[in-house]
Amino acid sequence: MPVGLAHGVLWAVGLLPAAIAALALPGESLAGTSAVLNALGRVSGIAGLGLMLVAAIFSVRIPGIDRLFGGLTSLWRTHHLMGGVSFLLLLAHPLLLSLAAAEVSIGAAVTVLFPATGGLATWLGWVALLLMMIFLAPSFAFFGPPRYQRWKHLHKLSGVAAVLALVHTWWLARSIPAPWSTVIWSTLALAAVLALAYALLLARRAHRYPYQVVSVAHPANNVVELNLRPLGESLRYQAGQFVYLTPRDRTLSAGQGEEHPYTISSAPEEANLRIAIKDLGDASRAIQSISEGSSVDVMGPYGAFFPAHGNEAELWIAGGIGVTPFLGRARHLASVGHPVDIQMIYCVQDESRALFAEELRALSEQIPGFRLTMHYFYQEGPLSVDFVRVHCEDCGERQAYVCGPGPLNGLARQVLLESGLPRHRYHSEEFNLL
Amino acid sequence: MKKLCYSAFVAFWSSIATLLALQAVATDEAPDTQAGAAVISLEELAVHNSEADCWMAIEGKVYNLSDYLPKHPTPASMLVPWCGKEATEGMRTKGYGRDHSPMAWEMLQTYEVGTLADGASAD
Repeated sequence: MPVGLAHGVLWAVGLLPAAIAALALPGESLAGTSAVLNALGRVSGIAGLGLMLVAAIFSVRIPGIDRLFGGLTSLWRTHHLMGGVSFLLLLAHPLLLSLAAAEVSIGAAVTVLFPATGGLATWLGWVALLLMMIFLAPSFAFFGPPRYQRWKHLHKLSGVAAVLALVHTWWLARSIPAPWSTVIWSTLALAAVLALAYALLLARRAHRYPYQVVSVAHPANNVVELNLRPLGESLRYQAGQFVYLTPRDRTLSAGQGEEHPYTISSAPEEANLRIAIKDLGDASRAIQSISEGSSVDVMGPYGAFFPAHGNEAELWIAGGIGVTPFLGRARHLASVGHPVDIQMIYCVQDESRALFAEELRALSEQIPGFRLTMHYFYQEGPLSVDFVRVHCEDCGERQAYVCGPGPLNGLARQVLLESGLPRHRYHSEEFNLL
Repeated sequence: MKKLCYSAFVAFWSSIATLLALQAVATDEAPDTQAGAAVISLEELAVHNSEADCWMAIEGKVYNLSDYLPKHPTPASMLVPWCGKEATEGMRTKGYGRDHSPMAWEMLQTYEVGTLADGASAD
């Protein structure tokens, strides 16, 4: 199934209850402003809840499933967008219903929002909406950029909000015809519960691999590459994928027992797993001094940056720690030894920030058809169309893979599209919170 | 999406605040009338039993719903059988076990014409 279609199916499922409700609206629902506002209010509530539940269901990280959707990052992007749309609809929901009642009186409009007696269902809806404001505040940076752990903890409130919203909807349900209302909401609720149960109970056993830190390399003063030996079964993965890593080292100053996503930098054929981590936050800073011999749990693999079977000409653009998936792929290509046609442009501030540059140079001599070009910001300025054209004349005909900090990804996309690269040949991986 | 969601978040609370402010102002201007002062017997209620002249007793209060019937979401014919009668059951169950919304109950208040005479509301 094409990736776009897979994402479309998610939207369709989320909007299905609202579509049914809209079709079931009696004809009189559109007679007069008040009736239209009331109908819109109901349908927006149903659409908001439908999208919220679907976003919750597919936020469960099942290794392998994310490939159907073009990788976990792509799935997160849809989750983020769907959550935002759901939030907008659910904000509109009470306001529209209240405005609809304003035809009667301002008092009626206020009572719809704040019923004096017997409005428990309405108050449950309010609590759900307030919880949503709280758990989405960091996601949409209401009060500045979010801190990963706080965002993660607050996001757990979404479970409570979903349950309260379901009770609210079930209690007041009258827009979707009788049996269907129960069928639809029960199915979505059951799917959400199953997804959560899977995430909390099964996934931890099925896709969690214990490893031990054998050695820690320091390619730069703020980057480590952990060399991990499997304590049981080894993780099977493809080059460029990523994992959620949970360090168990009790001496860590932060992030002990917390899972964070990191890219695998080793080749799949290697006996040990290597993961390169740059100091970008509290947990990744603490992990710079992880003890050798300590254990870690690895969950994954996730991501579909590189195609499973690709033999087209490729252009790689890496920036900073975004070099890791390319490093993993280059190490893999070196061990396979087949000729390739890959041009890599590695963007860094200056020579001292070029992580793994020595190894990449050696790999470019070893792998037939792999060319490495360094782009130093202090010499060349920002990446430009001219630079790309000079070093990669046929870049428009290649598959382009870009991984770096957000601004570089944005710039590279612009430069490549201007250089004639068709949109569908552009692939990027991000490592910041959306 | 971040900016849009934040703007909507601010707009939402602004709207709520505006609505509450409007209500505060409106209440000052429109003091309660003598609605509900009349005491109405079941016999008197029973006289108003047609679509054109429809009164209903609901939870001890009597409402003149003649003007409202054309606006009701389901056809007036569904409601006419309740005209001139104690209609709490119809209001609470809609005939299939679902209560009316808080909005519907609030709208009802505007049609109040009196209180049902004591002892008359027993089924």
